Amino acid sequence: MNGIEQALIGGVDGGTAILLPGLGELVSQRSGVVNLGTEGCMLAGALASYAAAVDFHSAWVGVVIGMLAGSLCGGLHAWLVVKRKADQLASGLVIWFLALGVTSVFGSSFINKSVPPIAIWKIPLLGSIPWVGRILFDHDGLVYLSFVLVAAVWFLLYRTRMGLTLRATGERPEVVAATGGHPDRVKFLAVMLGAGLAGIGGAQLSVGYVDNWFNDMTNGYGFVAVAVVLFAAWRPVTVFLGSMMFGVALAAASVIQAHGIAVNQYLLDSLPYVITLIALVAFSRRGSSQAPEGLSKALTSSG
Amino acid sequence: MRFKSGYRRLLAIATVVAGLGLAGCSSSPASSSSSSGGTTTVGFIMVGNRDDYGYNQAVYSASQTVQKDLSKVKVITADNIPENDTVTRTMQSMVDSGAKIIFATSYGYYPYALKFAQANPSVYVFHQGGYLNGKFPPNFGTYWGEAFEPVSLGGMAAGAVTKTHKLGFVYAFPISQTIGNIDAFELGAQMTDPSAQTYIVNTSNWCDPLKQKEAAQALLSQGVDVLTQHQDCQATVIEAAKAANAYVVGYHYDAKSLDPSGWLTGSAWNWAPVYENIINAVTGGHFAGSQYNANWVGTFANNDNPLTLASFGTSVDSATQQKILSEEDLLKQPDESVFKGPIYAQDGSVIFPAGTTPTYAQINNLTQLVKGVVGSLPKS
Amino acid sequence: MSDTIAPPMQEQETDGQKPSWKRPQLFDLVSKKAGSDSFLKRLAWALGAYVGVLVIFGIVVEIKGANAFSVLSTMIHETLLRSDSLQQAALRAVPVTLAALAVAIPARAGMVNVGGEGQLIVGAVAASGIGVALGGSAPGPIGWAVMLLAGAAAGGLWGGICGWLRTGMGANEAVTTLLMNFIANDLMLYLIYQPWKDPHSSGQPESRPLHSALQLPALFGSQINLGVILAATVALVVWVAMKYSGWGFALRVVGGNPEAARRAGLGVNRLMLSSMVAGGALAGIGGMLNLAGVELQLRPDITATFGYIAFLASWLGRHDPLKVVGASVLFSAIAVSGDGLQLNYGLDGTVTDILLGLIVVAPLFLSKRRLVSGGTR
Repeated sequence: MNGIEQALIGGVDGGTAILLPGLGELVSQRSGVVNLGTEGCMLAGALASYAAAVDFHSAWVGVVIGMLAGSLCGGLHAWLVVKRKADQLASGLVIWFLALGVTSVFGSSFINKSVPPIAIWKIPLLGSIPWVGRILFDHDGLVYLSFVLVAAVWFLLYRTRMGLTLRATGERPEVVAATGGHPDRVKFLAVMLGAGLAGIGGAQLSVGYVDNWFNDMTNGYGFVAVAVVLFAAWRPVTVFLGSMMFGVALAAASVIQAHGIAVNQYLLDSLPYVITLIALVAFSRRGSSQAPEGLSKALTSSG
Repeated sequence: MRFKSGYRRLLAIATVVAGLGLAGCSSSPASSSSSSGGTTTVGFIMVGNRDDYGYNQAVYSASQTVQKDLSKVKVITADNIPENDTVTRTMQSMVDSGAKIIFATSYGYYPYALKFAQANPSVYVFHQGGYLNGKFPPNFGTYWGEAFEPVSLGGMAAGAVTKTHKLGFVYAFPISQTIGNIDAFELGAQMTDPSAQTYIVNTSNWCDPLKQKEAAQALLSQGVDVLTQHQDCQATVIEAAKAANAYVVGYHYDAKSLDPSGWLTGSAWNWAPVYENIINAVTGGHFAGSQYNANWVGTFANNDNPLTLASFGTSVDSATQQKILSEEDLLKQPDESVFKGPIYAQDGSVIFPAGTTPTYAQINNLTQLVKGVVGSLPKS
Repeated sequence: MSDTIAPPMQEQETDGQKPSWKRPQLFDLVSKKAGSDSFLKRLAWALGAYVGVLVIFGIVVEIKGANAFSVLSTMIHETLLRSDSLQQAALRAVPVTLAALAVAIPARAGMVNVGGEGQLIVGAVAASGIGVALGGSAPGPIGWAVMLLAGAAAGGLWGGICGWLRTGMGANEAVTTLLMNFIANDLMLYLIYQPWKDPHSSGQPESRPLHSALQLPALFGSQINLGVILAATVALVVWVAMKYSGWGFALRVVGGNPEAARRAGLGVNRLMLSSMVAGGALAGIGGMLNLAGVELQLRPDITATFGYIAFLASWLGRHDPLKVVGASVLFSAIAVSGDGLQLNYGLDGTVTDILLGLIVVAPLFLSKRRLVSGGTR
């Protein structure tokens, strides 16, 4: 196996933990709500899923509980910004700090409990495709779930009535309201759904990838997910590509070293952020920003 | 009107705060009892979680042994204290709770611990793993063990089982202790498998399970079939090895229970005797100028190395066990060392010439990797 | 929905013209329809909200098996009633306050600066670079001045880039400042991992410590150092500038109604940019003071989320300089109060993050009137 292949495989593993919250953040932002608390909702999902997996001896029960914990976390954010009209960015940071505190305080009793791991499953036919098979189709179930979710989110947004309402809510909530819709309700649901995906992302880290729980173990992945959505200009398939780009950048440092080459990984680590920044500026410059109008408004009208 | 309400809001905050203050005053338990009745309060500060199956758990369990063994000592602990100025405040809190002796047990606490000792002459501060080149304040000391000795024994176990002749070492930072450990591990492995090579990957963090997992994966897919590490927490690397049916050599703490068949052996800290000797030196009033008021390093030769050989896993056959144990006995002889020359660097140049045995200080100042290690250290 | 955005606390000052709607304030302590409620009633709500915070916090503590009352009284005793802890809180408040002002100034102009964390970092990085290069060659005051300018320049640049991306390129500054935090952190890690690594540190990634002549001296035999005085002075200057200078007034006009400001002939873009540069420079100074006064060398954990806490502090203080300082000091004191909890109760120090979060959302949870008058009005 050569280094590039290894970096790509590692990138898919690590990228999944960005993809899941990234898709969630996409849904949330499409409805006009940015959730900086994604990091916190991931932490909540990571701990809740781990604790449930320990108690119920089932990783998949853990994943479901993790999703619920994430949704609950998102529900708080939604309530603050939708019902109480709180500033989205400030509310998101509050969610992050609350989750950081709660998970650190209650997580200490779960460290190093053993959980049944999510089995690696090589998909029969796809897995034997040379190169691609090993990179994409030889992972654990949560990785495949995240692939499916890319398609599902795309379908939801562009091929269903619900998705149309959701996007309309992100653009012109007053129009949705005028036509008898309930923009607040839509936002609430979108944020909770999005945070639920972030919760699964947390589960992917604790139950799926590392098999352990540690304080602050999401280590900025939630913020990376927010960046990925911006990089992707709010498009699901690009979110997938962006997540994998971040994942590969994170995995590359280890792989290069394992090949005997010393590397200062931090310039590499910063690269995806720089690319995101450039992409963002390029979109804005062309005036072709895909940002939902309601979102732009929410971001600029903090005051 | 608006303007006034701003001040009223401030007044309201002030009232709330004052109210809390009063509530606090009235129901205060005397929480900060200073060392009274001949009891000495001893504080232990850890950088990670005390249940990390690694460095911090070794410190924590030793602190509990101290509590059991010494009747006139009250032990207080704090874990998850980051390596920034927070540790200074934690030391201050401990002193406020009556602590007279403080063990700052993470490598990165060193500058804070030294500074705190200088600022608080009545408190005895000890740093685990540091090395002071200079004059010691009368209330400060560092302590450590010749870690590379037991680590080389772990390397022997690794060399005995590897089929790919590739070993993986996940380290945190290229500090001198770690360089010594990487070299010793490779040298030990060469004793049982002359063609063994050690691949190295760093994580730039004492305990970041994500980075550890990535590092372990990268090494495993490189064909490595034995992993070892210099990390504070070891569960992640052990689990990664287990999932890949690879072997693991532990460090800091005996974690055989996590994977009895994959676990070969490892090194485990036994800090309690060191802590107790230091505490007794302080409470006995003969600390200043003693061996602990300096860079104290336990060794096999003096039979006081705090780092010991951990238990063997089920995959290590008895012949290998015998070989390792007799090597341990050999290392207890004076002038014996895993670094006994000739030792060659990666480029083939001589680090320690034939017939010489380097001192601890020499090994602790190593900046080169030995021949057989694959990879290089980030250079400053 | 109008897109006129009201900056906080100043409606009466913008040309006497009231904006068409006012965004309800998140961190308003007392629900306010000015004058309609008596002071006592609002005080009651405030008390209710904060008692609620303590109750929730107490429940968390009780679940972890500690006695809520004794935990709270320990926090109060060990923080508010001990000069030592108060001094520690003051030291910690230096970077938090300046990073919070870095949020408050752009907020006046309607700009959102989430980049306090990164601006703190580059300020510390620049100060460290200059400081290490100076070594012991410059006497303290000159060295401090040079480092302070370097920190301010770096922070101003970091904030200014995002300001320019907004005014010149149309890229949203809330987003770019957030991204720049991560870039700043990686930049610092890159530097201390190799090029700037202290060769005498035996391997841990950290920069060379500042020469003792460049370390900010402690004052009057206390732990309080010169940085606390400087930070307080800077905060005062900011308050005066915001309140009395033409620039401060112009920023508020821009923040109140950029379109009107433009029609009135104000250089809106230049004002917005200047607010980001000024904010970034303040955070850069915060990073410098924290480096020269407390940390003395760059290390991976040097900012410890101060920049994000500062963002919340600016909100709690509703971007009003004096209140922002108060909120920053409050948050710093809360963080310091957590240090002792582990020793006495075995609680993780991060338990105070819960308290911090609750304090910020408390008014929204418990003010009943807010529930009624919630939406736009």
